[in-house]
Amino acid sequence: MKKSRIFALCFLIVCLFSTAVLSADEVKLTIWGRDIPDDSADHAYVHALINGFQAKYPDVKIDYIALGDPGLADKTKITMATGSGLPDIFQTWGGSVMGGYADAGMLFDLTNELKGIPCSDAARQAMTWKGKIYGVAPFFAVAGIFVNEGIFKANNLKVPATIEEFDKVCDALKAKGIQPFACGEKDKWPALALYMYLTNRYGGDASAKAAARQIPYDSDAFVKAAQLYQSWIKKGYFGATPLGEGYGDAQQLMATGKAAMHITGSWMCAQYANSEFTDQTIGFYAFPAFKSGGVGTVNDIMGQTDIGFAATKVAASKKDAVVKFLKYAMSTEACEAEPGRICSVPGVKAKSSLTAQAAAVFATAKTVTFWWDQDLPPSVTSPLNDMLQTFFLPGADVKKSLSSFEALCVENIGPVKK
Amino acid sequence: MRMRREQSAGRGRSSSRVHYGMSEIIITIVLVVLAVITIFPLVVPLLFAFKTQLEFAYHPWAIPEALRWNNFAEAWKAVRIDQGLLNTLIVCFGSILCTIPSAVLAGYVFARYRSRVTEILFYAILIGYFVPVQMVLVPLYRMEVSLKMNDTLYGLFLPMAAFGIPFWTLIYRSFFKSLPRELAEAASIDGAGHTKTFFRVMLPLAQPATVLAVLQVFMGAWNDYLLSLILLSDQNKFTMQLRVASFLNSYGTDRMPRYAAAVIISALPTLILYLVGHRWIIKGMLSGAIKE
Amino acid sequence: MEIVEGETSCAGKKKHKKKDRNRSVFIFFCILPAILFLVIFLYYPIEETFRLSLTKTTGLSKEVFVGTDNYQRLFHDEEFFAGLKHVFSWAFWSIVIQLPLSFFIAFSLTYYSNRFTRPLQAVFFLPNVLPSAITAMLGKFVFAPNYGLIVSLGKVLGWKWLASIDFLGNPNLAFWAIFAIATWAYSGFYVIYLMSRIEQIPRELREAAELDGASMWSYARRIVLPELNYPLRILAVLCTVGSLKLFDLPNMMTTGGPGNATVTLGITLYRHGFINWNYGKAAAIGVVIFVLSLVFTILQFSLGRKKDEAI
Repeated sequence: MKKSRIFALCFLIVCLFSTAVLSADEVKLTIWGRDIPDDSADHAYVHALINGFQAKYPDVKIDYIALGDPGLADKTKITMATGSGLPDIFQTWGGSVMGGYADAGMLFDLTNELKGIPCSDAARQAMTWKGKIYGVAPFFAVAGIFVNEGIFKANNLKVPATIEEFDKVCDALKAKGIQPFACGEKDKWPALALYMYLTNRYGGDASAKAAARQIPYDSDAFVKAAQLYQSWIKKGYFGATPLGEGYGDAQQLMATGKAAMHITGSWMCAQYANSEFTDQTIGFYAFPAFKSGGVGTVNDIMGQTDIGFAATKVAASKKDAVVKFLKYAMSTEACEAEPGRICSVPGVKAKSSLTAQAAAVFATAKTVTFWWDQDLPPSVTSPLNDMLQTFFLPGADVKKSLSSFEALCVENIGPVKK
Repeated sequence: MRMRREQSAGRGRSSSRVHYGMSEIIITIVLVVLAVITIFPLVVPLLFAFKTQLEFAYHPWAIPEALRWNNFAEAWKAVRIDQGLLNTLIVCFGSILCTIPSAVLAGYVFARYRSRVTEILFYAILIGYFVPVQMVLVPLYRMEVSLKMNDTLYGLFLPMAAFGIPFWTLIYRSFFKSLPRELAEAASIDGAGHTKTFFRVMLPLAQPATVLAVLQVFMGAWNDYLLSLILLSDQNKFTMQLRVASFLNSYGTDRMPRYAAAVIISALPTLILYLVGHRWIIKGMLSGAIKE
Repeated sequence: MEIVEGETSCAGKKKHKKKDRNRSVFIFFCILPAILFLVIFLYYPIEETFRLSLTKTTGLSKEVFVGTDNYQRLFHDEEFFAGLKHVFSWAFWSIVIQLPLSFFIAFSLTYYSNRFTRPLQAVFFLPNVLPSAITAMLGKFVFAPNYGLIVSLGKVLGWKWLASIDFLGNPNLAFWAIFAIATWAYSGFYVIYLMSRIEQIPRELREAAELDGASMWSYARRIVLPELNYPLRILAVLCTVGSLKLFDLPNMMTTGGPGNATVTLGITLYRHGFINWNYGKAAAIGVVIFVLSLVFTILQFSLGRKKDEAI
């Protein structure tokens, strides 16, 4: 009796030991993302990425945690601030937020490993900070005009080819009782895409100069763009209640044909091409330039990472697995699952014609400007979006708003150098 | 008697038993209307959850064309009640067990044994109620890491209790304060010590507060998002609310029907619990009348 | 102020001393658990908040001591003042609207306990069951333009003025829209709390009042309100401190907009800390919230204290 017990005990110990050894062999990657990897079309890429990688590399165990929109950002910020409990890989749009983490020494420099991956320049640039590459951006979003083709055709209208043409088109739409633009300014950031375009069309690389503190934010291009924006708002091109509508409401207006145009990022392609989401025919066009008097051209495009992943310093001990994962994230195999976003990997074909249109716009880009609210230092990003919202307030003085934003930039980034 | 009043002071609507029936009817109607207003928004998700996205986009307030369950199926898969529920319950009960005994004891002492020292200690505890949660997240997280408590369920409900104790101490203090002084004196004449007086006489009298506290602490723990988000990282320890939130946040409100389905699934357990237990809850809460 | 529990029997000095020690031991062990929780989990974060409010840091970078710089900056911060203003008007209106409404419901429910009102006792607490994200979502559905509940109602009735109101987008209305939702969501707790306190009032008082022919209103005013003096003051403290910390609903319904129309101190704090990475300034706002809460609590407790002692 006793002997058998001792045997059993020994057996148990051996078993435990061997599982311990086995699990030591198995590398576990913790990945924090935004979307849950379910079968919904919106999450097709994440679904394919996680399941595909797990099937291909069974020796690497993936622990993917979906945290949702403010959740991912908040949790990442707190773990980065304390430097403990970091995931191996986290989802990010790159830019200054990722840069802040890199400056704090929380990220893992993978320049040598990642620089060889075929990828569009803009997407690589977004995941690079101070010359070092920290991650990959398999999908890139550009801003443009989503146009309800049916409405335009029924009213014999043409998509504006110059900014000057907008007034005529919008007035015609308004006369028909259709809201020209959907925006969703209750959420503050949706106004940014159009403002960035208008500023660029007036002043070319004004935003880059202002960020580098060569010109102030209340200089000519910014003021003119804001004034034009405000005149459109006053004419009712954004409907009667732009401030009460959220971004989701704006999508509904487009989806039901109540609004004719939506100037926003190409991430909406998947939904606007989805027959469950909308019964309208929607197209994607580049934002035009001024016929005369402007500096920026149609080939200056606004946009940034749509889905990106970066590695943290704790990933250093499992470098192989991390690189494997990031490479798989950039593989055609995983990327082809995505129905709507523009892939940064050459050779991955767009699935819908809407995405193809957006990808074509992206292909014409000579310069790409990143979202200001992701590219400027975080200290001024939420004031920037706040300021945009003031354009919509009745009786707002846009020049004053820009001046106070400039004052804030002087305080947080520095004064304009002469 | 001291409550005898002049009729004219009743401000027109006034007193007298003749109108008694009338005002009861009016007030009952007002209460029913208020109750309907209270309940109506709770029914709204039901109106949305059975619709397709397009049906919702065109006719948000219409009766659903058909009872479609696929939104519920999607939400059910993501919420994974089987795993989240147990964690949530542990957090809820842990939070109740830590918050309420601490608060009831402290509240009792602060109400019945007042001195300069206890008064200072009362404020020392009450200041915990003044701290905005967003502010303490970083230090709290740092501390939990150094205590190796992060990513555990007790690491979640212990600080939750710390956040709840000041509030409930305040409530218990007010309850014990309003109990007639003679009760404690009578007990002490009978030779009961401090401990005995508390457990035999005072604690049962505080039952309404305790029912209220159990209910509220339970709901607070059940619905908590921010603390759980920051303090838990291991998916196996995720609470239900955390799963629901990540499901909701990865669709956003633009996918309303699915959102509504998830809302219903996540609120259902508490709703059922409340509906089943509300008789007992109300009874327990309204048992305050002192029997002499 | 100092009240010592009556030791009625005139026992010998020795016995008295022993009793005294028992008393201290009892007090000590009663307060210990609560204090322990606070010391372990909250004192360090509170201390950190105070310390960080004197530094400049992104939360990631090195902390640089800047003295009272963060506080001085707050004085020039429009958003902060807007938040301060909203927080105070929120507190004021909660006390003026939510508390009387809750008292009315609680009192009527207990006074007229009949076939129709009894089932309602459970109803008013129901919105409390929902997490605030969902409350905010429901709020958006009630007040949204185009398809919101009120606007749709206006369309059905053909009332153009109602159908064209932009509750969340109009800076003058947004605050009230959120306040209405908060009243709906939070009053349930006040109602059941007050109900339980009203039930504590001895039945004889009501019977005596009824025998005297006192109306419901005079009974409420003469007997119930004075008895609820202290509980109502506690609720006033809750309203004030709750307003100072207010974050969830306005953040999710309007993100503080339009402009600064619904900004609260809680939102400013979150924004400075988490979005703008200005951790020192966020901590300074945290300290302001903390100090104001303390001041107002002490004020509300000391106002009318004498009456309270008599109870």
